Amino acid sequence: MITATGLTKRYGTHAAVDDLSFTVEPGRVTGFVGPNGAGKSTTMRMMVGLTRPDAGEVRYHGVRYGDLRHPARVVGAVLDPRSMHPGRSARNHLRAMAALSDIPSTRVEAVLVDVGLESAMDQRAGGFSLGMRQRLALAGALLGDPQVLLLDEPSNGLDPDGIRWLRNHLTAFAGRGGTVFVSSHLIGELAMFADDLVVVGDGRLLAAGPVEEFTAGQAVIVSAETPQPDDLVRILARSDLDVSVEVEGDRVVVHGATKAEVSELAFENGIRLTELSETTRSLEDSLLDMTGASARFASA
Amino acid sequence: MSTVTSPVPPTSPIPPTSSSSSSPGASTLTSIGALPVDVVTTGRDRRDHVGAVRAALRSEWIKLSTLRAHKLILVATALIGAAIAFVLAATAGDEPLTAAELFIYPLPLVAMLAAVTGILMFTADDEHGLLAVALTARPSRWVIVLARTVTAAAVGLAYGATGMVAGFAGAAAGGVDLGSGSALASRAMWALLYISLAAVIGLGVGMIVRHSAGAISGLLMWSFVIESLFAPALPDGVVHLLPFSAGYRLLDAGPSFEAPVVIAHELAMWQYALVFGGYAVLSLAVGAYLLHRRDTA
Repeated sequence: MITATGLTKRYGTHAAVDDLSFTVEPGRVTGFVGPNGAGKSTTMRMMVGLTRPDAGEVRYHGVRYGDLRHPARVVGAVLDPRSMHPGRSARNHLRAMAALSDIPSTRVEAVLVDVGLESAMDQRAGGFSLGMRQRLALAGALLGDPQVLLLDEPSNGLDPDGIRWLRNHLTAFAGRGGTVFVSSHLIGELAMFADDLVVVGDGRLLAAGPVEEFTAGQAVIVSAETPQPDDLVRILARSDLDVSVEVEGDRVVVHGATKAEVSELAFENGIRLTELSETTRSLEDSLLDMTGASARFASA
Repeated sequence: MSTVTSPVPPTSPIPPTSSSSSSPGASTLTSIGALPVDVVTTGRDRRDHVGAVRAALRSEWIKLSTLRAHKLILVATALIGAAIAFVLAATAGDEPLTAAELFIYPLPLVAMLAAVTGILMFTADDEHGLLAVALTARPSRWVIVLARTVTAAAVGLAYGATGMVAGFAGAAAGGVDLGSGSALASRAMWALLYISLAAVIGLGVGMIVRHSAGAISGLLMWSFVIESLFAPALPDGVVHLLPFSAGYRLLDAGPSFEAPVVIAHELAMWQYALVFGGYAVLSLAVGAYLLHRRDTA
């Protein structure tokens, strides 16, 4: 259980994180979503004491990070998969981490097996692929058998197989009662395995809640092509459907009605349709809508 | 003997937190949510501090001993010591020096190696993101600083001892007299102190500059170029206080061993040790302060 209250971090006059408060429940995977530059990484660094907040605090089951005698045994953080010396083997890298937190060295082999690196454990980390580095970073976070996992964009650079592996791992971790907090700018991917979402934009909280709240509210969009666009628009306006309409040449885009409703209206009024399709507004679009006004960095 | 508390075992779903998230000063640990008592502390006692430093030292030792580079540098130190002393011994002119003096000659170079290692102990770690890893595990920065200082000093001692023994052997192999043992012990002691402190100054500079190339070139430029260039123009009183001019004088190899900067009226060894040591403490203090204040990427 993580409770963040009023987290704020300013760089000069710009607030990278602005009065951010949220709760992360145990036993669930919580996605931390926002466009690049929204302050996700800064927030995660504040959650482990690497960056000092200008205001606000984070508590783990009511305890501040700095008050934990062995932080690594409560919170496992995977913030940068490249955090390893290329000249050291995976095993020795973990041995050094274990020693620092008074973790028995038996855990080293256990976590390496857990993440599937036991065949590479004596190889130098410099020769690892990005996927292997991610696994090693996760192994390091799991060393202390923590109850909380924090991950910052963990699937960056992973192939689909690796992403699936990670997802399964995190879901299983939450299933055992652990708390998982994963940040990403890919809401579609997160929505597939997260239980809750915390959405931020330009440093501020935009929305937070179970993933169903975000997926249920997705609007249906109907796109119709017709040689009589003005007629169709007129019919729709006169009908008792509550819709908004966009017209571009022969194409009419209707928000708020189903394909069946539009088709029936057209048929009843003798309007010929040459194309009719229905799409669900993607989560990405919903996210862009939410964060669009506050996006600090425009997407390509 | 620190008791190693076993890690928190994976449990069934964690019960909901009790609403009494008591203020940090309270001692009723059992009321703090689901965290087992032994991983939570609301006030550290001396045993915790000692345990923390001990753990950090163990971690630094593992890091040191598992990198091939450090072993190579140790071998290089021995080779440098032996080679330089051997060459000097073999090419000795009309006033042959003894091994008890020659073993000092390679040490300025060894001291630089120690300083560079001290720098890298911090900057290489930082540049590979390992400082962040260490600080998330041990947020109390002073623990990391103390452990690294002790490790740097130990590394300096190791390099110094290796260089000296190899130098002595190399000189003896070069065919000179072994020399008297009376001055040998005190010379060795001061030299060890110099090299050990050089490693610590390296660590401090590394903590301040935070950039490998910058710290190394800066330190080397300062000690070899700036001090040597400007010292002759400065009054003796100031030269005594320049770090490497002072430190260099801890290397005593008899009357024919000349420091790069000549001072008319020299101070006592212990006074130079104090000056050099003072710089080590200063660089560490500034570095530790900056480490505490700066955010870590």
